[in-house]
Amino acid sequence: MFERFTRPAREVVSTARKAAGEGRPYGDRAIGTEHLLVGLVDGGIGGIAHDALRAAGVDTAVVTAGIARHPSTGQGLSAADADALRSVGIDLDAVLARVEESFGPGALDSAAREAGRGSRGRRRASRGLTPAARKSLELALREAIRLRHTYIGTEHLLLGILRGADGTGAAILTEAGVDLDVLRGDIERRLREAA
Amino acid sequence: MTDPTGLAAAASGRDPRVGLRAALALRRLAETLEALQVANARAQGWSWQDIAEALEVSKQAVHKKYAHLRGE
Repeated sequence: MFERFTRPAREVVSTARKAAGEGRPYGDRAIGTEHLLVGLVDGGIGGIAHDALRAAGVDTAVVTAGIARHPSTGQGLSAADADALRSVGIDLDAVLARVEESFGPGALDSAAREAGRGSRGRRRASRGLTPAARKSLELALREAIRLRHTYIGTEHLLLGILRGADGTGAAILTEAGVDLDVLRGDIERRLREAA
Repeated sequence: MTDPTGLAAAASGRDPRVGLRAALALRRLAETLEALQVANARAQGWSWQDIAEALEVSKQAVHKKYAHLRGE
């Protein structure tokens, strides 16, 4: 799927990956739709999605504040978990060091992913993506096909997030006062103008 | 929330938010370690029955939770 991504779309994913790791030094660092938003509003990457988001009043500060309001529900251990564990006398770094001594680097990472699955049917989730993010990428591909585009650009990624609507990314946009339908219309208008 | 001294003081107090957050973090850590060790046990040829006994849960419970592990 990624081979059809434009360069800016790839940059969005790589920025999202970095954002997903921030504040979550332990365990699962799955990319969520909220992390894709971080890449999409990045001025350095630009593109139609960036312009449409900025026009809707969404910038990096809005997204960052939104992510802080939506603590991850995954099983991975965040820096906040490490703080909480310290409050009851557990040094998560020491636990991590012992585990990696026996099982090698990243052992807790993959264990966190296993712990998040089980009977909840996440078995086939793409590696490193939350179910909502994976769905948004599938929807991005579908949007590109619907628009008869042969590539997947930042605008398709954003349209995918908006179509999915159940991810944290869409929730952050709604909370910021963005009307998802209006934003979708604006993206399509910008696409027509660019054509 | 990153000042350890402040946190330790808060945790020994009666603020439920701090105590509950610690309980959540402990649960996440326990789940993570459990998944790691169940995979380890399976890799070393342990049966689901062996694992269930070690975890003091039913064989069905442990199998349902971890049947997706590699090799299943």
